[in-house]
Amino acid sequence: MDPELIGDCVHCGFCLPTCPTYVLWGEEMDSPRGRIHLMGQHVGGTPLTPEMAGHFDACLGCMACVTACPSGVRYDRLIEQTRAEVERAHRRPLQERALRALVFRLFPYPRRLRAMRLPLRLTEGARRRLAPRLERISPSLAAMAELAPPVPARVRLPRRVRAVGRRRATVGMLTGCVQGAFFPQVNAATARVLAMEGCEVVIPPAQGCCGALSLHSGLPEQAVRLAERTLATFERAGVDTVVVNAAGCGSTMKEYGDLLGEDRAQNIRVVDLSEYLAEIGPVATRHPLPVTVAYHDACHLAHAQGIRAQPRALLSAVPGLRLVEIAESSICCGSAGTYNLLQPEAARDLGDRKAERVLATGADLLVSANPGCTLQIGSAVRRRGAGPIPVAHVAQVLDASLRGLDRAW
Amino acid sequence: METPFEALRGTGVPVEPAAPGDAPRWVAYPGTTAEVAALMRVSAEHDLAVVPSGAGTKLAWGNPPERCDLLLRTGRLTSLEHSPGDLVVRVSAGLPVGTLASFPGVAQELALDDPLGAGTVGGTLATAVAGPRRFRYGTARDLLIGVTVVLADGTVATSGGRVVKNVAGYDLGKLLCGSYGTLGVVTEAVFRLHPVAPERRWITVEPDSLAALDGLVAALAASQAEPSAVEVDWPGTGSAPVVAALVEGTAAGERAAAVRELAGGHPARVRDEAPGWWNTLPGDPGGVLCELRLPPAEVGRTLREVTACGPVRVRGSAASGVLWAAPPPDVLPAFVSAVRDRLGGRLVVLAAPYDAIEGIDRWGPVGALPLMRRVKERFDPDRRLSPGRFAGGI
Amino acid sequence: MPDTALDEPVRRFLEILGPGSVITDPVRLRTYECDGLTHHRTSPGVVVLPETAEQVAAIVRVCARHGVPFVARGAGTGLSGGALPRTDGVLVVTSRMRRILSIDLPNRLAVVEPGVTNLAITEAVREQGYYYAPDPSSQQVCSIGGNVAENSGGAHCLKYGFTVNHVLALEIVTPDGDLVELSHTDPGYDLLGAFVGSEGTLGITTKVTVRLTRAPQAVTTLLAAFDDVESGGRAVSAIIGGGILPAAIEMMDALAIEAAEAAVACSYPEGAGAVLIVELDGPSPEVAHQFAEVRRICEENGAFELRVAADPAERAAVWKGRKSAFAAVGRISPAYIVQDGVVPRTALPEVLADIERISGEHGIRVANVFHAGDGNLHPLVLFDDDEPGAAERAELVSGRILDLCVEHGGSITGEHGVGIDKSRYMTKMFSEDDLATMQLVRCAFDPEGLSNPGKVFPTPRLCGEAPGVRRGAHPLVESGQAEQF
Repeated sequence: MDPELIGDCVHCGFCLPTCPTYVLWGEEMDSPRGRIHLMGQHVGGTPLTPEMAGHFDACLGCMACVTACPSGVRYDRLIEQTRAEVERAHRRPLQERALRALVFRLFPYPRRLRAMRLPLRLTEGARRRLAPRLERISPSLAAMAELAPPVPARVRLPRRVRAVGRRRATVGMLTGCVQGAFFPQVNAATARVLAMEGCEVVIPPAQGCCGALSLHSGLPEQAVRLAERTLATFERAGVDTVVVNAAGCGSTMKEYGDLLGEDRAQNIRVVDLSEYLAEIGPVATRHPLPVTVAYHDACHLAHAQGIRAQPRALLSAVPGLRLVEIAESSICCGSAGTYNLLQPEAARDLGDRKAERVLATGADLLVSANPGCTLQIGSAVRRRGAGPIPVAHVAQVLDASLRGLDRAW
Repeated sequence: METPFEALRGTGVPVEPAAPGDAPRWVAYPGTTAEVAALMRVSAEHDLAVVPSGAGTKLAWGNPPERCDLLLRTGRLTSLEHSPGDLVVRVSAGLPVGTLASFPGVAQELALDDPLGAGTVGGTLATAVAGPRRFRYGTARDLLIGVTVVLADGTVATSGGRVVKNVAGYDLGKLLCGSYGTLGVVTEAVFRLHPVAPERRWITVEPDSLAALDGLVAALAASQAEPSAVEVDWPGTGSAPVVAALVEGTAAGERAAAVRELAGGHPARVRDEAPGWWNTLPGDPGGVLCELRLPPAEVGRTLREVTACGPVRVRGSAASGVLWAAPPPDVLPAFVSAVRDRLGGRLVVLAAPYDAIEGIDRWGPVGALPLMRRVKERFDPDRRLSPGRFAGGI
Repeated sequence: MPDTALDEPVRRFLEILGPGSVITDPVRLRTYECDGLTHHRTSPGVVVLPETAEQVAAIVRVCARHGVPFVARGAGTGLSGGALPRTDGVLVVTSRMRRILSIDLPNRLAVVEPGVTNLAITEAVREQGYYYAPDPSSQQVCSIGGNVAENSGGAHCLKYGFTVNHVLALEIVTPDGDLVELSHTDPGYDLLGAFVGSEGTLGITTKVTVRLTRAPQAVTTLLAAFDDVESGGRAVSAIIGGGILPAAIEMMDALAIEAAEAAVACSYPEGAGAVLIVELDGPSPEVAHQFAEVRRICEENGAFELRVAADPAERAAVWKGRKSAFAAVGRISPAYIVQDGVVPRTALPEVLADIERISGEHGIRVANVFHAGDGNLHPLVLFDDDEPGAAERAELVSGRILDLCVEHGGSITGEHGVGIDKSRYMTKMFSEDDLATMQLVRCAFDPEGLSNPGKVFPTPRLCGEAPGVRRGAHPLVESGQAEQF
């Protein structure tokens, strides 16, 4: 934990109302300002107590505080360093250790994740019957079962998708772990939209995890290994721009420079799908979609990458589409990578809060640019017993509009 | 042993015996804060009860003091120091509020209306009285930025200062607003001033019934043409109310026209002059005068409800929920009970002939009375300043 | 380690609140050791997080019974150390009391709990065309309870006034644990007005009724760049002298502009020695007329560039630099002191020249950000805390600036409050008698001196015997640490 970075905090408190756990619990120690204070205590010689570790673990890493901070405090760096320190210096209880081991051996590996889909393929009824029992054994397992969406049909993506019309660019595409396993249709839509906008899309089949989950959970070594592999994969594929449609992956890949060194990372430019589409501008015709859309700001898009305007602009440009804002849009939905698995109670409270505000918009469709958010909000809406609100990715909405479909979600 | 009279004269302040038949024994005419302090010290030594008074326009308000040895007239406290560049004025308590409505050579004013016409600065603070423009500018407490007060033992204290923005220490000025001379004698006040509006227009609307009143008042008050006042005048049972709004500033004509549009079909006109009843109290001098406080949106309903009591003339700041009412003495008991018990509004009987107030709690229930009593005990432990004039023996 | 005198109170708090709302772990307690002013730090004896007014009253009754001091804290953003805890006391944090209880548009008021943020009130009524007028720079985080304690202002208080002008009623817990309502409709002493701005020394606010203000029809924001602060100051005087009362007039000098550029890239006109932000609001025809006047006045006084923001996005861009200024100086200086003083507006040029002289004499840079319309200065005194003696010199410069304010008939604080930080300056502004008279109010509310003791007033004073109860000499008096009053 870098004392210089800790010293940048002037204790103004502007981060407080943006912090999901402060919003939930109203305690200083569960705010960014309080956590930085705890980091300062630890750096100043206070041993890392279980209480301290608990407050660090409770941080979602949503980075809303980074956006809000007028002093430019790098909380993102600080919490990353802190998580690594927690993993080094703090011994967790057995059950917690087992769970974390399971998560980190499962999620960063697309093939293992795909294999897990089968046992999670429960009917609604089975899910309900099983839930209380799972809740008793482990709230985290219950959360995992609850989150899992119906398993979609497998979509096989080609290695290369040709541009429609004149080719304007050649880009690589990241398929992602969770995205690839649970939302292959989003990847398909992404590839089609890019192609229709004149891009040749290169999709290396042997992609692994980008390293985001490990990095955000205090496992920098695993993160470095995965990042190095991802970078090499795209270099071999011969692209210099990689389009990412999952916010968490994009924000991590944009920071490969910090992780692997600027020299190692400079050959590949990472862009978010919305960011890229806004940058190259539209060429394909948009067909009308008469639908009211609530756009959800994924933390790793809005806060970590500063991308708020582009997805809204892309959606608003679809004829007939009405865009509505969700109250408290900058507060995290509670998904936050593996947070909903490791801190299920807090995640559930945040999910409920978000679901309530999403439903209050009266929108027909919720659009989110991150698979974790989609799972999280989807399950929170189901939990409320409200009529399910369909959730789609920006790519799917654009895909539908470009192809003139009624809907594709 | 010096007599109290000799001791009072010994301060050098003009002091004379009161006219035969008056309640006080002596009347003093101090001209400076130091003289007030000297009088208060002598009064403390001789256990004299002191009642401060300005022009005397509101001396009959509140309970009659239980005792009064010395009437302290502030008429000679008349200094004035105007700082036009800072938009502030420092004045002595004896000056009429009306003298602060204009200053030579510069278009500034104290934006505080005095419905009594001749009231002094000290009396206005002590009774917290205000007129129509309270809606925009607030009352004396909102315009007061500094105060000098002489306590019962002769201590001279100031709080606030000469600058509008100031949060150092407790705001004693606010505490003294509405104190009815029971905490100390205010000798000087500093007010913030406002630029005088270049133009003024009054919009009068005559709704056909009380039922239309609340909607009308709410619409005028919420207008983005920003009226400075929204007043109502109701001559009593059987008659229709008149609502008048004041628009001041630049483009007042254009804004007044916008306000008139909100009349909702009721007869309305824009005038350059205030209606005759503007910024005046209803009823006759020497008669009953009550102050009502109610939610602004319930003014119309309240007037409808009190109709049953008998003829009551009501006037005041509808949009602020502060009304003056002048019921005839025989109607007073029913009126008080209707407002307090049936409507849940606050009502204070400011002035009433002695026989009319018999058996009526003049001030009504005051939630913070125990705290006020504790403040009084600290400021005036011997109960020598206007004793008993306020509620609960304060 | 918690004071053992707190053992019994803590047991009672656990009964009242349950374990999730009572903090005794020393590591956790330390995160509450300071508010927005970090150079005073004290770890509280215990932190409690009540959720209802009744719980606050019960907590205070426990404190009163055991003679334990208590300090209220909202969001902890104060800049005078007003919420600095006591090791031997209880910190009552209102951050879980954040419900908006009711909104009554026909009567233009809202009733909220003290932990609700200032901005949340506006957000709750914005769509209906209303807002809550006082707007301290920390409005998205600061709590309304804290605003009440400090009588917070903001950039727009030039026209709209302070918290005290917008609070219609309060529910408070008195230092003996009673729930009392103070209302603007109460006849008699304006206790409501006296309580607002009393910095937590008269009790704890548990409910606030605020006035809602109708949104103005038109808002125009103008950014004017001048060669120097003097010409900007002349323009301010001419605007006010011209009978215009803008919603806000803010000024920043070259150093403050440099900091803001470094932090938020606000792109203010290049080469400006001072920028003036003038915001006009009100009925459209009036704003249009005044805007023309202000523009003319700025040009006549040497403004070399004028920018007009007509829509909310452009307005936000103009305000961005100003609102970030405090935190932004961190980019140009390792450490700094935010000062808050007031001078009569006409004394501004002289005082600014004096500040420059003092700054030069001590080799300490001072960046100036101020509410020019009401003479409220926020000098940012910059120093390097690694340089030996620099902190002391900065402290000296900062104190000299307050002296200047008092010498010119101003105030030692316009909006940040006295707190722990400026209590020693109170004697420069007020006489012994003035302070003793204020102390009478304190003694009426809090004869035992348990509510936020040690704040606002320079020396701890005791209230003598509470009426009816006779006690022995107070230990603080015997040891010469306090004087009987």
